[in-house]
Amino acid sequence: MTESHYAPRPGDFDPLDAAPQAQTVCRPPLSRVQATWQRFRRNRSALISLGLILALLLFTLAGPWFWPVDPARQDLEQISRPPTLGKVALLVADDRPWHGSTAEPPPALPDATALPAPTGLTILEPATTRSVRLRWEPVAGAAGYAIYRSERPPADRADLGLPLGETWSGNEVGYEDRLQLEDRSYYYSVVTSDGFDESAAFAVVEVAVAQGITLADARSRGLVGPDAAIGDRVRLEAHPLGTDYLGRDLLARLIHGARVSLFIGLAAPLLFVLLGTLYGGLAGYMGGRIDRAMMRVVDFVIALPFLLFMILFKIAFGIGPGESGVLPMLVALVLLSWPSSARLVRGQVLQLRHEPYVQAARLQGAGAPYLIRSHMLPNILGVILVDLTFAIPSAIFIEAFLSFIGMGVVPPTPSWGSLCNEGMNTMLTHPHELFFPACLISTTVLAFNLLGDGLRDALDVRLTEGT
Amino acid sequence: MLAAPLSKLFQNLSLSLVCLLVPALPVLADAVDYRNQVISIALTQEPPQLNSMLATDQISGFVLGHIQEGLLRYDADNRLAPAVAEHWELGAEGATFWLRQEARWSDGKPVTAHDFVFAWRNTVDPATGSEYASILYPLKNAEAINRGDQAVESLGVQALDDHTLEVRFEKPTPYFLGLTAFPSFFPVREDFYRSRGARYAADADDLLFNGPFKLSAWVHGASLRLEKNEHYWDRDRIRLNRIEVPYITSETRSLFNLFKDDKIVLAGLDSETLQDALKQRYPIRKFSDGSVFYLEFNHRPGHATANKALRQAIQAIYDPAELVNKVIALPGYRPGRSLFPLWLGGVERRFRQEYPAPVVQPDPEQAQRYLAQAKQELGVEALPPLVLLTDNSPGAAKQAEYLQSLFKTRLGLDLRIDRQTFKQRLAKMTAGDFDIVAAGWGPDFDDPITFGDLFASWNENNRGRYNNPEYDRWVRVAQTSSDPRQRMDAMARLQTIIIEDVVILAQYERGLVYVQHPRLEGLVRRVIGTDPDFSGARVIQP
Repeated sequence: MTESHYAPRPGDFDPLDAAPQAQTVCRPPLSRVQATWQRFRRNRSALISLGLILALLLFTLAGPWFWPVDPARQDLEQISRPPTLGKVALLVADDRPWHGSTAEPPPALPDATALPAPTGLTILEPATTRSVRLRWEPVAGAAGYAIYRSERPPADRADLGLPLGETWSGNEVGYEDRLQLEDRSYYYSVVTSDGFDESAAFAVVEVAVAQGITLADARSRGLVGPDAAIGDRVRLEAHPLGTDYLGRDLLARLIHGARVSLFIGLAAPLLFVLLGTLYGGLAGYMGGRIDRAMMRVVDFVIALPFLLFMILFKIAFGIGPGESGVLPMLVALVLLSWPSSARLVRGQVLQLRHEPYVQAARLQGAGAPYLIRSHMLPNILGVILVDLTFAIPSAIFIEAFLSFIGMGVVPPTPSWGSLCNEGMNTMLTHPHELFFPACLISTTVLAFNLLGDGLRDALDVRLTEGT
Repeated sequence: MLAAPLSKLFQNLSLSLVCLLVPALPVLADAVDYRNQVISIALTQEPPQLNSMLATDQISGFVLGHIQEGLLRYDADNRLAPAVAEHWELGAEGATFWLRQEARWSDGKPVTAHDFVFAWRNTVDPATGSEYASILYPLKNAEAINRGDQAVESLGVQALDDHTLEVRFEKPTPYFLGLTAFPSFFPVREDFYRSRGARYAADADDLLFNGPFKLSAWVHGASLRLEKNEHYWDRDRIRLNRIEVPYITSETRSLFNLFKDDKIVLAGLDSETLQDALKQRYPIRKFSDGSVFYLEFNHRPGHATANKALRQAIQAIYDPAELVNKVIALPGYRPGRSLFPLWLGGVERRFRQEYPAPVVQPDPEQAQRYLAQAKQELGVEALPPLVLLTDNSPGAAKQAEYLQSLFKTRLGLDLRIDRQTFKQRLAKMTAGDFDIVAAGWGPDFDDPITFGDLFASWNENNRGRYNNPEYDRWVRVAQTSSDPRQRMDAMARLQTIIIEDVVILAQYERGLVYVQHPRLEGLVRRVIGTDPDFSGARVIQP
């Protein structure tokens, strides 16, 4: 029998190391914010949305430095132009009245059945967008002439285009056209008239119209130096997104419009969701009689008509016609829109209050601040954020609607909504005036929605804890 | 299962609903029907008032002009022509009209002088409350009656017999013949009017017609139908058997689409639809409707615009040609140079050819001097913002924004835009709740005085309360003198005062651009009288 050589040492009976070497924590613990951010980062669409919103804020806040153009400045030479990068214009003399061109009175014809078309139809001066001056030879028997303008060669007598005007006697053989000319080719037609009817024959001349600007105008806009002369060429201001129906720069209007739209779109929802959350949370947390009383107040506020109160606030604030109604709009939005958030939050809190883990915490002696901070807030944060993301686009739309009916911004202040409404009038002929503001509104609304979705997924503890 | 019978029930229900609805739908005919000589048109709104004694607006005037007829009417060449009156005599003291024997109401009874006496008395009767009562003021005692000072029987109109009407004037009224074509002068038959009571003109059945057409159906807010009046004395002149009005809409885009779809014969265009019409190669027509639009200043004390230097400063930066060519940008509009539009007749030629309006060229430097003077006179460092009262149509908004920018850049003045509906604008104008108002005036009859007396101190339509004894004096000369030369000289004085004292700033003479069905002929557009006038129109062969 061999003897055991085991000689116990004191250390042998110490407890083993509690933490097994194989399960070392290889990163520091994550705070809640860090964990949320990590989950958020995995959501690509939410990330893009966040980027878009940041870009939008940059566009709004820093835009005026990058694009220092007055959004109210009207350039009547460039009305409703599509995006351009600076047209070259011909410097012309300042407007001076033109008293037409008269000739010897043509001989009268006793019975003019078919009057011929005038001959020798020419332009008198270089044709610019400031004016086109036409002249033609008098026609025997004519009692006047009618002048038409078309953007394409006329196919027949019924296709002469725009009836510009007429002269009232046979020897008045000149006409000046200044009616919203663009730098393109026009076909001017002149038709002889016997005082009552116009003849079937017509004379056509093609005129290539150049962009023009008067010297005084160019000087006042700082486009030329003091030594500029008539006939010089100057480069006009660029309009990267085109101009609107009064020749105002659309990019500048969008930048300045974003201030109003985003101010209302962000400030109002933030304020009323906060108010609603506090109110609803309190009602839900207190429960019982207080809850019932508070919710009746909510019912009352929901029954108040928004538009009526908007008007009342406007009067109460002493805002007259033609003054901006943005402040009363904000007040009305905040004071009348919070009940939906309050109801939502109150429901959530009421439900949470009866959850077993909340009951357990309470039995263990947790106080109200702890309960709210650790159990209520994290659980309702997702709901609040979803509510907020839906509230932002609807606030932007309300601003647009109110500006449309004249309760919101007033001209010349632009907002995205008012830009859309203005663009709507010219939707078919100048689509860019509607497209750009509509595009911005849609992008913003979509971005806020996707961001909200991403935030909810990232914040929802129950949804993500297991993964 | 429950779903099936339910859906079947709904099916049956909706089928029967459709059956019920079908007869009620108007027959949506094409724009023109050559065989039956029928055309379809659209109105921009429901006629607000078809009682000729109360009507004030243009839509009602259009319908009334087709279903009623006065003593005289305007013919296809826009000249006054005999209508119910066969011939007449006009003097300084009054006029006598001999009515034609064959003039008939649509129930076959003759139109008599008593019908005119009844209608005219009723219009000036303060109990009727007609807003247009003042147009009858040339009649003796009319103004006193309308104030309630005299009995209606004392009105200067009398039926000598059934077919002779004698009119006595308060003061010589050389333009009286033109007035008789105006709806307020149309006849109304007493027995019919009394039988309908308050329902008179409320429906198609509650009207009696003596014009070329009769209103045979009127579905309020939806449609109207005018049919040829077989009792009309000049029925051979009327070629159309029926005018359908199946659409009532003021949307220019909708009207143009209806025209494109061959549903209506006439559609007015705005700058947008005009581009579309040009693309579609429709022949575009234009027409100046005779009205003048202007910026009216508030001359009441307490308003900065009561200061003449300020008004002159505004005048010196203002170029109506730029407004018309660049901002309105529609052919047919003419830059406003005077309160008196170009078409008005003078002594022999047009008034404006005989008396050209003084031209004020824009002069920014002079404007600054006026502005400095205004500030000094008003005793202020900076002028308070001015309120521009305007309509809420897109066109009016655009013009207002143009003015706002003009005032700001050239004078440094803030302009606040007060956009209101048409009715509300009129209410605010009457109350004097504005500094500047974009207003307009359409002529009621063919004489410059229809514009000239607008700014007489006693005129209700002088909303800016301009008060100038010299102006009043020339208005009285123009109203009472029977010498055309002296009258027109007085008008020219008015024109000069308007421009030199900057009572208003003329903006434009309005034009209309429209498209018309190629197979419709004989349609007449007029400045004075029923416009458009379909009574001589016909559909030509395809």
